[in-house]
Amino acid sequence: MTTRFLSDGALKQFVQALMAKGPVIGPVARKSRFVFAALEAPEDLRLDYDTTILPPKKLFFPTKQDLVKFDSPSSFSGCVEPKEQVLLGVHPHDIKGIDMSDKFYAANIPDSNYLAHRAKTTIIGSNVQKHYKHAFFGSVCRELKPQGHDMFLTRLKGGYLVEVRSKKGEELLALGKFEPASREQAAEAEAVNAAAEKNCPEKLNDTSDSVREKVRASFGSDIWNELSRDCFSCGSCNIVCPTCFCFDVQDEWNLDGVSGVRSRCWDACLVSEFSEVSVQGGSENFREERAERYRHRFMRKAVYLNDALGGPACVGCGRCSGACTADIANPTVAINTIMER
Amino acid sequence: MPKPRVKVAWFDFACCEGCQIEMTNFGEPFVQLLQHVEPVEFREAMSEKTTERINVAFVEGSFTREADRARLEEIRTRSDIVVAYGQCAVSGGINALKNHMDDYSEAVYGKDCKRPHLDSQKALPVSAAIKVDYEIPGCPMDKAEFIRVVSQLVHGTTRVYQPSYPVCMECKRRETVCRYDDGDHCLGQVARAGCGAPCPADGIPCEACRGFVDNPNEAALAKVLHERGGLPKKWADTKSRMFAANQRGDA
Repeated sequence: MTTRFLSDGALKQFVQALMAKGPVIGPVARKSRFVFAALEAPEDLRLDYDTTILPPKKLFFPTKQDLVKFDSPSSFSGCVEPKEQVLLGVHPHDIKGIDMSDKFYAANIPDSNYLAHRAKTTIIGSNVQKHYKHAFFGSVCRELKPQGHDMFLTRLKGGYLVEVRSKKGEELLALGKFEPASREQAAEAEAVNAAAEKNCPEKLNDTSDSVREKVRASFGSDIWNELSRDCFSCGSCNIVCPTCFCFDVQDEWNLDGVSGVRSRCWDACLVSEFSEVSVQGGSENFREERAERYRHRFMRKAVYLNDALGGPACVGCGRCSGACTADIANPTVAINTIMER
Repeated sequence: MPKPRVKVAWFDFACCEGCQIEMTNFGEPFVQLLQHVEPVEFREAMSEKTTERINVAFVEGSFTREADRARLEEIRTRSDIVVAYGQCAVSGGINALKNHMDDYSEAVYGKDCKRPHLDSQKALPVSAAIKVDYEIPGCPMDKAEFIRVVSQLVHGTTRVYQPSYPVCMECKRRETVCRYDDGDHCLGQVARAGCGAPCPADGIPCEACRGFVDNPNEAALAKVLHERGGLPKKWADTKSRMFAANQRGDA
């Protein structure tokens, strides 16, 4: 693996060079939080961010996406047009989230809309300089190493250690003043990233395997009623999750009753209508109780997808914990409680 | 030959008629709608009235005087479809704020308080008096949603999709900083979505003007409004009365 050093001044020039080629999406401030957004100036880039409201998945699958426009029953056209883009400043655990999304959307019937956007995106990761208050990425999903990105930046004194991760990443070297990196700098970067994992403010106490089996065994337990007592079924924990991938498809008709658009938007298994299905002219909800829906999210992340992936579908970003106004979504609290029983 | 236009009429009960005003603010979409519908009664925009059969009746305002029942029943009898639009018609709306009080009359109306037309009972949704086929919530109702629902109705679609999830979903999808993260309070967790969550995006708490979702967690709401939102206990308990008085457990 090629390593380089990029000074602070050279980073600014590099970002400018990237912006001259096409959209560069990075963490920018929004009030007290951060979001991934197209940079308007290199100074907007905030690599010292803690986390973003939504995960970077939105760059491959916008929260609402028009799929097909139709003029008549026989005349329709797809409206997904992926463009080259650079996604800059993705934390290691969010890179794992993207890697999982890549697998989910490629499995079974491949989601060509997601995959087309993904293929056109160059990903440059960066280390966690500041922890989100609910981050626990140091104690979950350790089985998976970050992969699928093209370059990775780690903050050192006066600049960044640059790891080149792919051929696309290799080509980026021509755009900036990258200097050779010393062995010491590479070792320092490794220590910085290891310390970020170690210093997470929150922590799961048990291994993924033991969590998976205990949570699986708790399916019929009363603990789900207890944990979900204050749940609003608002779906916030789903929407902010980097590994949730469900969506809803709707057709909207124009006033002429002939033309319209088919679009999809991010959905959430915590909300009641998610599990409502049409049954013989009426409707039926197969997860009617909020405790069942609350349980389902944990079953998905810790058990069912763990069975499929060989590790939990949780990267420890802590977004769900922060998004839950009732403060009951926090996986470290819920899982640690289940494990202690 | 073009399809005959659908005959539509607007009727108002206890309300500010703001939703009708909102309708006349439509501009282009409303003009387009007129290619498909023929208004036969619309007090806010025309002087004609009708006693004929109506295809779609739009009813605004809450049902708050027993005397209005007969008029509602008459509308129902001669209409194929009844659409309650605006939160007053859908849930009783802001009018239902009076439902837990019996001492407001003199304070509000002064010496006129005994005049017969001011004699009203509980503010209830239109559906408390007659069968309602479709509801378009909101205070005021959302123009885009109105057009969407009506365009489906005039083209014969019977199933109209309207989200039943809470406003939090819409805030998250547009990456609005949560009011609670801004040190504020909000009713978004229990408020029916479909508006696109414009208020929190402008830094204003959601007041649930489209009413509650089905099965709102009222106990958790009172707790969160008090503990995280910083509202005094009593205020936290009663906060959601503004637009959802009739949907609360204590209605």
